[in-house]
Amino acid sequence: MKKRGMYRKAPVLAVFLLLVPGLLCAGVYAEPERPTVVYGGSSWLGHYPAWVGIEKGLFRQYGLKVLFKSSYASSGRMGSLVAGDLDVASTGCISAIALMASGSKGFMAVGTQDSYATVEGLIATEDIGDMEALRGKRLAAPFASSAHVLVIDLLEQAGLDAQEDLSLINLKVNEMPAAMASGEIDACAAWTPHFNKLLNMPGNHLLANDTRFSLYKKYGIGPGPDLLVVRRAFAQKHPDRCKAFLRGYFEAVNMLIDQPEECAKALMKLTNLGMEDQMRVLKDITWIPAEDQRALMIEPGRFVTGMQHLARFLVRHGQIDKAPRVKEWIGEDMIP
Amino acid sequence: MKNDHTGKPLAIGIVSLLIFLGAWELFCRFGFIEPLFLPAPTKILSRAIKMVDNGQLIAHTLASTRRVMVGFLVSSLIAIPFGIFLGSYGFFRAVFDPFISLLRPLPSMSWIPLSLLWLGITETQKYAIVFMGSFAPSLLYIIEATKGIDPLLIRAAKNLGASRLDVMREVILPGSLPQIIAGLKVMLGIAWTCIISAELVAAREGLGFMIMNGKEYFQTDTVLLGMVMISITVLIIDLVFRKFEKRVLPWRQ
Repeated sequence: MKKRGMYRKAPVLAVFLLLVPGLLCAGVYAEPERPTVVYGGSSWLGHYPAWVGIEKGLFRQYGLKVLFKSSYASSGRMGSLVAGDLDVASTGCISAIALMASGSKGFMAVGTQDSYATVEGLIATEDIGDMEALRGKRLAAPFASSAHVLVIDLLEQAGLDAQEDLSLINLKVNEMPAAMASGEIDACAAWTPHFNKLLNMPGNHLLANDTRFSLYKKYGIGPGPDLLVVRRAFAQKHPDRCKAFLRGYFEAVNMLIDQPEECAKALMKLTNLGMEDQMRVLKDITWIPAEDQRALMIEPGRFVTGMQHLARFLVRHGQIDKAPRVKEWIGEDMIP
Repeated sequence: MKNDHTGKPLAIGIVSLLIFLGAWELFCRFGFIEPLFLPAPTKILSRAIKMVDNGQLIAHTLASTRRVMVGFLVSSLIAIPFGIFLGSYGFFRAVFDPFISLLRPLPSMSWIPLSLLWLGITETQKYAIVFMGSFAPSLLYIIEATKGIDPLLIRAAKNLGASRLDVMREVILPGSLPQIIAGLKVMLGIAWTCIISAELVAAREGLGFMIMNGKEYFQTDTVLLGMVMISITVLIIDLVFRKFEKRVLPWRQ
């Protein structure tokens, strides 16, 4: 009986003997826990540096583990950032300005990584040759977005009233190709990749892009440029972690400038684009390296001045109640 | 004595509401709550005054009310006769039951892609979202109300020589009407919950649009004002419904 009991216990003993050294080895050789930074992004081009940084191990060399948390809309990301779910994010300026206008001091801007004036614009059917020809037509734009701001500005420049002279429809960019194809709308404002898709559709042409935006002409700022933001509490509690992130981040920006093909391979996983399309998108972007950041964000601060004008523009068009003093949200100590 | 009893709950309700609003205001004023997450009631009030002033609040409320009422009325006009019919005939109920069971759990938002393909970015698409969100539950309410009629009453009417149409008109309809109206009141509230989905695509006015646009610009006071306006509108429509109920069902008073 005793012998049979021993046989029964043998497999349990064997598993135990195998597991214990395994677990011990795992404990010895396990990578030490790296401090984590949670980044909020999407497949939009403004998030390419963070993705490349993660994929190419650029953050790891500074001892950081960066988690890429997907969040489609800028407003959602900014909400998550101030709520404490994210540490760092890239956002469209309009959301950042709107959040500043609400009085929230929970975040600060630490850079602007790209300029993409030629991948966002107004696309129309062939019969609409200029802005004036939009009179009486149906024009779609996603409200509360950079494309919406572009439309408001272009209509103002053309002396058209968005309420009276045409029908302005609130539509998401991903719904625009179908609406254009079915003839439900005559023109629309969109950004890449839908922008490219709409342009490639037969019978469509480009009416205007971000370079026609009034503030772009004066300050080189588009209707909704990308802004890199960090949660204020995170930056105050972990300044070293924050600076390390920015070092890795701008190394990724340099990599996007110097090795676009290498980066495109990594980005295809994020964007689901083919190599050719991915390279085309990359060609349309001007990346802003670390050494240009202080000039843009602090002194003389052309970008921040442009943002301030954008805030006033939003107030003038009833999008926000009051223009915040943008400078108060610039994290000067963190900017590389 | 009777008046005391009817007056008391109302007074208690008002006092509790005032205490709640006062506490909320104080918490915000003393900085316990960040305005971005929950603005003070006075801030919501001032936003309301501003939006009434420029006519936006009335325009948004009327646009949503129109969408809800059209969707809900079309849904009720189809659901009432169809529901009574299915409630009266077990065979047809069995035929349609699988379809109703499949439609019932679908949230109104799930109809957005199909409604866009079928109806485009039109007002009809918005009515359709409200319709689809309220039709199946309304139908179920009406079927249950009809099934609840005492079969003894139906048999008695038949024994007295009533035709099928007479039974329907004189027994089933008056018998189920109180429950149908009670169900429709609940369904009207549910129809209002569809307004966010209805105004999510291609809307430039309406309370759902106002809430979503306010969210984009971090105007939490606008978001809350939109929510309050939905509640107030439903309360007003409910009062109108009660008046209608009193007229249609005088024996219930």
